[in-house]
Amino acid sequence: MSTQTTEVKGKNTDYRLDDEKKIITVAVAGNPNSGKSTLINAIASSRLHVGNWPGVTVEKKSALFEYEGTKIKLVDLPGTYSLSPYTQEEIIAGDYLVHEKPDLIVNVVDATNLERNLYLTVQLLELGLPVIVAMNIYDEAVAKGYEIDIKTMEEMLGVRVIPTVATKKTGLDDLLKAITGVADSTFLHRPKRLNYGDDIEAAASVVESRVRNNYPQLTEKYPLRWLAFKLMEGDSHAMEGINLGDISFIGEATEHLRKAHGEDIESIMADERYGLASGLTHEVLKKPEFKKMEITEKIDRIVLNRFLGIPIFLAAMWLMFKLTFDFSAPFADWIDAMTTGPFKRWAEALLGFIHAPAWTASLVTDGIIAGVGFVIVFVPVIFAMMFFITFLEGSGYMARAAFVMDRAMHAIGLHGKSFIPMLLGFGCNVPAVYATRTLENPRDKALTALLIPLMSCGARLPVYVVFIGAFFPAHAGTVLWSLYVMGIGLAVLMGLIFKRTLFKGESPMFIMELPPYRLPSFRSLMIHTWEKGKHFLIKAGTYILAVSILVWFLLNLPWGVEQRKDSYLGKMGQVIAPALEPLGFGNWEAASSLVSGLIAKEIVVGTMGEIYVQRTGDTDKTEVPTLTDDLKEIGTSFANAAKDAAGNVIFTFGIASMSSEESAEETEDRSSLRGMIKGQFTPLSAYAFITFVLLYMPCVVVAIAMKQEFGTWKWFGIAFAYQMVLAWVVAFIIYQGGTLLGIGG
Amino acid sequence: MNLAMLKPGETGRITKMGAIGPLKRRLMDMGVLVGERVKVEKIAPLGDPIEVTIKSYNLSLRKKEAEGIEVEGVK
Repeated sequence: MSTQTTEVKGKNTDYRLDDEKKIITVAVAGNPNSGKSTLINAIASSRLHVGNWPGVTVEKKSALFEYEGTKIKLVDLPGTYSLSPYTQEEIIAGDYLVHEKPDLIVNVVDATNLERNLYLTVQLLELGLPVIVAMNIYDEAVAKGYEIDIKTMEEMLGVRVIPTVATKKTGLDDLLKAITGVADSTFLHRPKRLNYGDDIEAAASVVESRVRNNYPQLTEKYPLRWLAFKLMEGDSHAMEGINLGDISFIGEATEHLRKAHGEDIESIMADERYGLASGLTHEVLKKPEFKKMEITEKIDRIVLNRFLGIPIFLAAMWLMFKLTFDFSAPFADWIDAMTTGPFKRWAEALLGFIHAPAWTASLVTDGIIAGVGFVIVFVPVIFAMMFFITFLEGSGYMARAAFVMDRAMHAIGLHGKSFIPMLLGFGCNVPAVYATRTLENPRDKALTALLIPLMSCGARLPVYVVFIGAFFPAHAGTVLWSLYVMGIGLAVLMGLIFKRTLFKGESPMFIMELPPYRLPSFRSLMIHTWEKGKHFLIKAGTYILAVSILVWFLLNLPWGVEQRKDSYLGKMGQVIAPALEPLGFGNWEAASSLVSGLIAKEIVVGTMGEIYVQRTGDTDKTEVPTLTDDLKEIGTSFANAAKDAAGNVIFTFGIASMSSEESAEETEDRSSLRGMIKGQFTPLSAYAFITFVLLYMPCVVVAIAMKQEFGTWKWFGIAFAYQMVLAWVVAFIIYQGGTLLGIGG
Repeated sequence: MNLAMLKPGETGRITKMGAIGPLKRRLMDMGVLVGERVKVEKIAPLGDPIEVTIKSYNLSLRKKEAEGIEVEGVK
């Protein structure tokens, strides 16, 4: 097929000339909490593509769709208050607008907070790109008695201003019509050149003409006015890649300005931009004279109260923790039962039918199916966690949580918002690592993720239970408690160490808006939750599956090994064992179990069971269920899981908590395992061993979560290294110290 | 007098910004400008950070950051 190219010359480069192919690229910019996300979800929803901005881990959302025959590509810029070059988000947004030159900027503005939002608008207008202002949260502004003169605002800015209520999907058609009409000259789109006052304008015109005359190639690449402002401000990020040679003319041009205002140019400009935003607000907004006490103020009186603030926060966190894990646990158990039950049986039957060799059967069932099951088991908890985190953020409580906890977290170099990911870590480190995305600053985020693995997760509990049951039945509670406290204590210690070494220097500032409370739309919540869950399944799932297949090979190769000792895993254990000698458990059994714990720490117990307890393998004697039985079983057990989840959620509000009962077989297995390990460990070496399990390397899923969140293996590498050292040192101190003191010898 | 010295319920007018560089720009981006009225609303239960109202929205900042903002008392 030959493509016909229509060359369009001259000034009439109208989009409609080739509108069959033309896609209007729309960048959506706005303040955090301006409802930008909700607006995009409302417009694009299912067509939304969520990824990351190149090179960084800031989320990038985009969507491609057609509206009344026009193809529109929406690109969601990170929410920013300004286009200054100091935060990752601001740099991304600024760079995109300058270098990618979208056809149009849709600036989402919070109508209830006009002045601060217009400060960004003023900066967007400097770019000279067509702009449409979406005056969002308009209903709330009206309810507050605000009168906004849209017409005057359009005249003053020279762009369309369209009232919208994203949560109720009002005004979206008008907005889309305005977007598609971007090529239509009847609509206003080219922003007016706002007057920055005589001093700034004089300096800017000198710089502009100098650039125009001496560096004409720059005027093709950059909007001239924007460039002049950036040069005057001395914005080092914007000037990267611009080689001006002698820049003394900038200093000369701004000399009068600096002398007259006695400030640096950056501050003078910020001041003037706010001046413009204030002036505009003054012209177009009428507020009622008497302000009634707002709902946000009422809630904050209680929620941020000096005495009630912390108890309320802790209660809210406890509730979220319980809901996340209690809700997801029955589904996780159900998935686990399915993959180890019916699916495994079906695969076995199928493989038997085609006479596949035994090793393939084992690879498929124990390697692949178990691996897939292992990935899916995490899905409920990730979905549940994302749901609650999104709710906390969307409702405005996340900022309050940070406000309440900041003092305590700041002491160990963290941010107030670090508390929630750390807390989630006690349930499972994986969602906890994903939850660090609520932290904006990369430093805070990395430090939080590094400390999360010290929070003793649920997967470590089975290991503790077996050992405590065998050695410390009389003091079970105290010993268990000591492990959790040790994890927290070491997190504080490591936080202090990292703060002074790895993250040396000024701790990031804490300047945070406390947005008004709002009920997030259910739709937005679901979209976020789904996107995150999907992301985990596809991206992380692939890695985890690969690793679990690798471990299968380690356990079963060389093929035909009779004893675990001769498998690769056993051999690895034998190699590692001497290093564990000073810790009191230098035998290959313990070492191999620890290696298998790389998959998930609870597997340590499973591997020990396999190694120590000779299984008779009589499970096959039981009658094999038919396909119909299996299908029935899947249905009823899912119904039971859903019922349990609902039950758990209800029980969360009561005092009782449902505990899943162990099957008789499990209990039996455990008690025989207890007997075996009693012969292998002393109470002292047992305690050193569970301490080691608490502290040593994060499991593979955490590793992959860290890779996903940071885009590099660096942070996992650091976590792995420091935790290995820490685990060894602490276990060494416990064992050798204890031996010296003659405890439990 | 600086912003960290104001008690909850007290209002001040910003007279001078002591901060420099990114911190100053960030504060200015958030509307913390010379001449602006700022009211201290609350102090966090653990004593830090503080919550203020400025440009009719709520902002929180640490006392250390507030110390760099000079204010004069307003009735």
